[in-house]
Order: sequence, then C-alpha cells, then structure tokens
Amino acid sequence: MAVNDRAGHSPGGSPRVAGDGDAEAHRDLPPETGSDRPGNGPAALERVARRDIMAPIVVPNTLWQSTNPAAYDGGRPAEITHLREFGLTDAGRRNDARWGALEVIPTKADIVLDLLRANSLWPLLSGLACCAIEMMSAATSKNDMDRWGMFPFRASPRQADVLIVAGTLTTKMAGPLIRLWEQMPEPKWCVAMGDCTVSGGRYKRSYSTVEGIDRVMPVDVYVPGCPPRPEGLIYGMMRLQQLIVDRRGQWATRPIGPTTPEGV
Amino acid sequence: MTTSHEGPRLRQQSQDDPRVMLDIDAGAFEPVPPYPPRTEREAEFYTLGDGEMFLNMGPQHPSTHGVLRIVLKLNGEQVVDLDPVLGYLHRGVEKISENSDYHHIVNQLDPLEYVSALFNEWAYVMAGEKLLDLQVPRRAEYIRVLSSELLRISSHCLFMGWFALDLGGLTPVLWSFIERDEIVEMLGALTGARMLFNYFRFGGVNGDLNHEFMSRLGSWMSRAASHVEANTRLLNENEIFVRRSRGLGVVDRETALRMCMTGPNLRATGVPFDVRRAHPYSVYPELDFDIPTRSEGDSLARYLLRVDEIKQSLRIIDQCLHQMPDGPVMAKIPRKITPRPGRAYAAVESPRGQYAIYMMSDGTDQPFRLRIHDPSFLHLQSVGLLMPGNLVADTMAVMASLDPVMGGVDK
Amino acid sequence: MDRALRRRLEARFGDRLTGPVRQRHDETEIRVGPGDVPDTLRTLHDDPSFRFEFLADLCGVDTGLVMQVVYHLWSETTTDWLRVIADGLSRDDPRVPSITSLWKGAEWMEREAYDMFGITFEGNRDLRRIYMPPDYTSFPLRKDFFLADDAARSPGAGVRHQEQTHTPRNAPPGRAIRVAKEA
Repeated sequence: MAVNDRAGHSPGGSPRVAGDGDAEAHRDLPPETGSDRPGNGPAALERVARRDIMAPIVVPNTLWQSTNPAAYDGGRPAEITHLREFGLTDAGRRNDARWGALEVIPTKADIVLDLLRANSLWPLLSGLACCAIEMMSAATSKNDMDRWGMFPFRASPRQADVLIVAGTLTTKMAGPLIRLWEQMPEPKWCVAMGDCTVSGGRYKRSYSTVEGIDRVMPVDVYVPGCPPRPEGLIYGMMRLQQLIVDRRGQWATRPIGPTTPEGV
Repeated sequence: MTTSHEGPRLRQQSQDDPRVMLDIDAGAFEPVPPYPPRTEREAEFYTLGDGEMFLNMGPQHPSTHGVLRIVLKLNGEQVVDLDPVLGYLHRGVEKISENSDYHHIVNQLDPLEYVSALFNEWAYVMAGEKLLDLQVPRRAEYIRVLSSELLRISSHCLFMGWFALDLGGLTPVLWSFIERDEIVEMLGALTGARMLFNYFRFGGVNGDLNHEFMSRLGSWMSRAASHVEANTRLLNENEIFVRRSRGLGVVDRETALRMCMTGPNLRATGVPFDVRRAHPYSVYPELDFDIPTRSEGDSLARYLLRVDEIKQSLRIIDQCLHQMPDGPVMAKIPRKITPRPGRAYAAVESPRGQYAIYMMSDGTDQPFRLRIHDPSFLHLQSVGLLMPGNLVADTMAVMASLDPVMGGVDK
Repeated sequence: MDRALRRRLEARFGDRLTGPVRQRHDETEIRVGPGDVPDTLRTLHDDPSFRFEFLADLCGVDTGLVMQVVYHLWSETTTDWLRVIADGLSRDDPRVPSITSLWKGAEWMEREAYDMFGITFEGNRDLRRIYMPPDYTSFPLRKDFFLADDAARSPGAGVRHQEQTHTPRNAPPGRAIRVAKEA
C-alpha cells in the first residue's frame, strides 16, 4: 500500500517493491501512482516504525482528484472569482470537463444540441421573494410553463439548465447563490426576474441588498416588473429560447463580463 | 460549562490506515460556523453529543417558504435540535422607510408579507390615521374589509397547497394556484396590480369599485363555495395527509402564549384570540362572523382551522356586498403629510397572525421610526420547540403548517 | 381610552414611572427606567387586576439622544394597548434586562433589537445577530448609520459582507478553544 510522505514528494514514477524476489516479474507492470522512494512493501513498515507514529501523517487524498491531469483535459480548480477577472482569464473561455481533445466537435455539435436544449430548459428553483410566487403562478395551471418544456423545477443545481433568480438578492444570500450558479453544469443561462434582480429595484438604497445580480453573475435575459406578470416571465423565457437558438454553437465562446460599468 | 470548539472538520482519519489523515473537502461546507460560539445557546447547539450529526437545510431548498436556513442536529433520522438562521432576505425596509415620505411607504410595506400584501398596508395606514386623527369614510372601510378578506381566502388557499406540497402532494398546489389566480385577477382589476397592490391610502383607498371587479367577483362568488369544498375534500379525506399531520407539532396553550404566537396557530391551541374581536378595528364590529377555534394544537388542527376561516371570510364578503354604503372612498388629506409628533401602534389580523406597525413621528414628512411586527417571525421561533423527536421529513411539514412568509420574517 | 386603567397604573407603579401616563386613541403609555423593566412586566403579567399576558411587540428605538426599548402588551381586562417604554438607555452602551424568562418568544425580538441597535439584553441566552451576517460590524437602524442616497456611493458599492461560507483552505488548523462560562 502506498504511503506517501507529505513533505513534498509528488506522485509519479514507479515504486520499487523492495526486498521482493519477484522484482523482475513486476517490472513490466504499469507504474502505480505513488512515490518513487522505496516506500512500499515490508520495508516501508520498518522505516515508519522508527518514526513517531503517534503524530498523524497528513496526506492529500489521492483516491480521487478533480484536478487529475489525466482526466478531462485538465480540470480547473473551483474558486469563487469575481466576474471582472473571470472574463479576462482563460478560465472564462475554456470549456472544461468535456470532450477532452475533441474540442472542435462540441462547437459543431452544439449547433444541433442547442436547438434541443432550447425546448427543454429545466429551471432551478431559486425563488427568493415575491417574484417566486409569480414564477410559481407561471408554472401552474393557468399560465402553464410546461407547454415550453419547463415544468420540472429542479431542486438540485446539478440537474438544472437555467437559473431564474426571482426575488431580491441580499448580501447574505449572494454567497449561496453564487455557489449555486457555480454548481450548475454548463451550458447554463440566467434569467433575472423582477426589478430587484435587474437593478436593485425598490431596494436600491438599502444597505444589505445587491443592486442587480449582474454584479455577481452573467445574465442573459432581464425580465422587469414588480413583480412581472406570469405572462411577462413566459415572454422572457420565450426570448431566452430564441436567444439560445440564435446563438447556437457559441456558448463556449460567448463574451461575458460585467454589464454594469465600473463605478455605477 | 466549558465547551471546546474546533470548527468544521477538514481532516479525517482514514478507515484503512489509522495513521493516515485524509482531507475532507466536504468539511468546508459544514454548517458549523467558523468561529467559536458566542452565546450559550450557540455553544449548546453546536456541540455534538453521541451519535449526532448536523444537517444543513440551506437557504435554497425545494420548500416554497423562501430563503430560510435551518441547521438540524440529528440522531439518525430524528431531529434533536434545530437552529434557524434568518437574514437571507433582509432588505432593510425599516431603514428605507425612515428615509421615505409617508406615501411611499405604503408601497414599501407590500413585499413584506407578499402573499397577503393588503394587511401590511392596512396596519400602516391605521397607524397613520391615528397620528393624523383622520376619519375614514365608511365606504372605504367596507372596501378595505372586502379586499382584505378576499386576500385572506387567497392566502389560505395557498397555505393549503404548500402544506400538501411539503407533505408530498403535487396536485393541491395546482388547484390552489387556480383559486389564487382568479382572486388576484379580481384584485388586479380593482387595484391595478396582481400582487403588490399599493391600494390603501391614509383616509381610504385608492380607487372605487369598478365594473370589471364586480363582474369577476360575482362570477367567482357563485362558484366559490363549491370550489373550496372540492379543494378541501381533496385533502381532508386523504389518509396519507391525515395520518402524517395528525399529532404533528403539537403546541399547547401555555407554550403558545409564552412564544407570543398569534393567529390561526394560537387559535388551534384553544385560545380564541383574534384581533378582529379582541381589539376591533374598522367595521368589524358591524359584521357577523365566528372565530373558529380548535384545541388539539397539531398540524391537522391548524389546517382545518384555516379551512374554517375561509368559510367565515366568504360570509364576511357576502355581508360587505350587501351592506356596502355609498360615499367617498378617500378622505381629504394634504399632499404632503406631516402628522403630529407622537407614537401610534396599530394591529390587524393578517392570515398569519397579528400584524402590527408601531410608528413614531417627529412632525416632519418622513417617519422617525417605523417598526414592523410580523407574526411569522415569532412562529419560526417556535419551530425549535416543536421539532425535537420528529423525523427530518416532518421538519418542512411543521414549518408549512405554521405558514411563514420569509419576506415578512426577514423584513 | 381607558381612564380606569390609567388610575390603576398610577396607583400601582406611581413611584417607578419616569413620566406621566399618556393616553391617546386606544393606547396607554407608561415609561420606566431600564432596571425596572422585569419587575414591572412581571407585575403586569401576574397581577390579577392587570393580567397582561400577551406580549404583542418588543422593539428598540433610537431617538438620537437616548435609546429606548418599547414593549406592547394586551390584556383581556382592558380595551387599550399598553405600551411600556424603557427610557434612558445610553447610546454608547445600552443595556436592558431581558424578559425571556417571562416570554420565551421575546428572545428573537431582543436579538433583532441587538442586531439593529446594539442594545444588549442581559439574560438573553442567545444574543447574536439575526438579520445581518455574523461578522457585520455596524448597527443599521441607529441614527448615526446613514443610508446613502445612492448605493454606488456607499462603502461596499452594493456587494459586500458576503457571508463567510467556509473556512479558507489555507487557514491554520483549528485548535480547541475553551469558552469559559461567566459566573
């Protein structure tokens, strides 16, 4: 069993099964990830026995890594970045966790896939305040969003396509909402519903609200109103569908960045 | 009692080799706060006993009450303790109101209890009328009662839908929203807006009844009783619903009074306290209606009580339509309102309980202090008393039976 | 306007009142010093001639000169709302004894008054912030907390005080911190 010392040795190279008579038989096996010091096999226990084993040995978890360089064309470590830096860095451009070396194909496949996605957008339940009631009203019998395929309001961000932010975003909620946005898999769209999310609305003067969610996340469709009528939200979603179809294939390279100018 | 606080666990001993410590990335998202406990209650809560664990029902969850975060301390499936964390919708309405004119504030108070917005306005204009020593015309009072009782029916219908949704039933929500849509279209014809009405004014209401409102109201009233009967029959005779909600979250009389609960939650425990009868306001002394009261105090009693209240509200609406007097709908007040310096407290019976406004005026055209007392705030405090011993799945059921609206809780 | 109530209050609490009993419309108002609050409210709660068993509201007020805590009570014996004002709290360190022993429901209302004004309620087991994030340093409803006319000119420019959602990855490992109980 590989015991890696955390003092800086990076995994790589082949372990030597020291003290084993079948070393030649093992030479043809693919190298395991682990330290290349003679740290495996019975000799390892002897070395450790001389050390102080009461203090725990802290090791990184090598059982599974999200940034394993062999998987998914290199991962991007998850970090909360401000939108300003996001657009300027490579992280905003790269279409990670997809297709590996076949980066040309997703751009072409998205042309077809976006037509399919537009008709089956699954919203994430992100009803914060009063607009949530109108969103629910848009989803229920009288104004039925199921006609456009948007009935399943997913509770988990991992399964959702579009985040309809309905209701005032406060500074305390901004952290969890950004985390929800980052947890949604790409391609994802965002709809700002209601005046409070568009620009802060009636709470523009408040000390604890975020004046418009485009300060913290990229918004595709703004639906104004306080609250917008259900028909208004449905109009906004239809425009979003139109937008997806018009810009199909371009999600990976879309320009994002703060829509609020500096200093406003 | 000294406690040791270590914060969320970021490392764990490996099960395979106890000499090895593994990084837990998930420990970073534990609900334990990253600072040592600051109060006795925090220390008591964030200390784990034997076999207990924390579960965070985060600010975003499928229950439709709004953004509320509950940290549950679980022993297996049973809830041992819980700590609600509020503030995810705190918009600073009181502070904004201190910097606004009196007229603007009527609109500012709507989004607090957004499901039943007229009651928020009503308490506020009542407090202002006390400070202005205004007399409201009788027709305006009757219109206020009429529109508010319609909204009470709508709010109780929504409660029924959400209560069933939290217990797992998907159909009652759709039926409730049909009812709510009809009522809200009616009120939209009357006030101009579907949800945040901005209708009440100091000295009356904004506009008189019009033809569209009366025709919609008439056609709805002819179907209302049968619709309510059908909606409630869907749930009353549903075995799953009854068995899950009976005996759930029982509140007894003394606890309810100690926790300052009001409204249907208090009346379900046997205390017949209704602000419309205990401290009558507007034209309620002239109207004939009963105060339904139940004594079991569990979630089923709270649900059945609200169904009874819908029927009483239909009665009140009927009487309002029959007794509607003629006259102006708004008293004459100056454009810039400067009440006398003083304090006023006004309370109304909203669908959730006693909704009150305490207003301090200093003689200028902006209020000096506007305190908003919301009933859901105190009901959420009681959840911590009702939950221990119940299972995790019943947490949202108990919360739904108390009918909180986070807009009002967080202001 | 209940004159009988006013007479009863003056007879019972005459020495503790710091001002006259005021009545207007359907409200009666008495003012006491902050130290007298628990006794006064307990008397109002227990005494069979008063029986103010229902606490309707608890809030803080910042008058610019002093701070006050305002309680609203209701009783079946009278038609008026009773308002008890704990007057004369200093603006630098406002302290009032807590009434959570009488009404447990006052706990969160006192938390809110602490969060918005900084009023410390002695005896409240859970006096921490309820609306603002736990690391917030100001008390928003005080009169010296100015709301900017335009959010863009406020210090945080609209995005600030995001809740610290988890311990930073590079933080030193936690130590066992002993929280001593104050006698």
